Amino acid sequence: MVRLITHNLLACHVRGCTTNNFPLAFKDVEIQLREAEFNQDFLRGFLPKLEWRALVDTAKSLNDQSLPDTPPAPEQMDTEFLKALHHVLLEIHVEEGAMVCANCGHVYPISNGIPNMLLQEHEL
Amino acid sequence: MSNEKAVVPAPDITGDASKYEETHVHAIYDEIASHFSATRYKPWPIVKQFMSSLTPGSIGVDLGCGNGKYMNNPSSIRTIGMDRSRNLLEVAKLARQDGCDVILGDVMEMPWRAHAFDYAISIATIHHLATHSRRVKSVELLLKSLKPHGGRALIYVWAIEQDGASKRVIPTTDVPQYQASGIDVLVPWVHNVKPEASTESSPPVYKRYYHMFAKGELRSLVVEAAHALQLHVGESGESNRSQRGLQIIQDGWERSNYYIEATTWEKE
Repeated sequence: MVRLITHNLLACHVRGCTTNNFPLAFKDVEIQLREAEFNQDFLRGFLPKLEWRALVDTAKSLNDQSLPDTPPAPEQMDTEFLKALHHVLLEIHVEEGAMVCANCGHVYPISNGIPNMLLQEHEL
Repeated sequence: MSNEKAVVPAPDITGDASKYEETHVHAIYDEIASHFSATRYKPWPIVKQFMSSLTPGSIGVDLGCGNGKYMNNPSSIRTIGMDRSRNLLEVAKLARQDGCDVILGDVMEMPWRAHAFDYAISIATIHHLATHSRRVKSVELLLKSLKPHGGRALIYVWAIEQDGASKRVIPTTDVPQYQASGIDVLVPWVHNVKPEASTESSPPVYKRYYHMFAKGELRSLVVEAAHALQLHVGESGESNRSQRGLQIIQDGWERSNYYIEATTWEKE
């Protein structure tokens, strides 16, 4: 399934597409919300590796405004913030639709929660 | 008498290796996915140990995740699974009760930000790549996926040297030239989905391509890939002037497979 945790890692990898190839933009999405196991240790450890701007903007594009524009300092991460981060990263499932590269326009389709990241031979 | 369960040498691969893999690996896994998955549930001890030693907050990728048997981890770490078989991914995405993230992709491609992951595992995957240069390339991509310092890798491949308990019948391998470069074989999968069915119609047999690794071959493959990325192979320290490197933590043989564990490092 495609959650924002995965989306924050994926980038367009068409040959020659090396700038502005992240983040991919969601298009025509069908979303399901499903509960996931909350784990503070994971969130605190993972947060420094996130591309925060991409996460916030993508969440907004899916109508979730719960994240602040800059992440709080570690000692200021309260439960409310961590719950919001947990929800955005792990509970919003994009089941159908596509991810589109802003640079080259390549479309990565999502079907049954599985994104197809395979390229054609001429794109490699 | 022919034995349909025997492992046979693979005919020489001519033409496009990726097309060869499409026919002799990917298409077969899609066909046998559910039956195959039912036979793959026991974790291998060294993989289990590796997974349980990961720092909380780690994000990793399982390259060739199959049915997701290494994705059901404690919620303090998360693994993204990638595979070429959509049907296996349909199984893998349910490996955790609260769901697993899986993507349809190829280990000859790298569809994510470089250095995005804390760890990467490749368990029984790259032995399905049909040429040496493709296997090297896939290890390069694996290493490029890891963070520059403290990124951890674990790779497993099938060995020529088989466990005595293995049911496989392996073609003779005591020919010296095979010892260094491994051997290419076709391994039958008897697709026996209904064991109670009448024996009159025999189940289909799919022959999957494998490269069986020779002793030392996996290690030299990793070294070659590291060098291609200008990584110094060895410990970080004052004895070398390299800025970035790859330290091999352990390598060995376990249950008919060779494995290697390595960690990236970068000097301040």
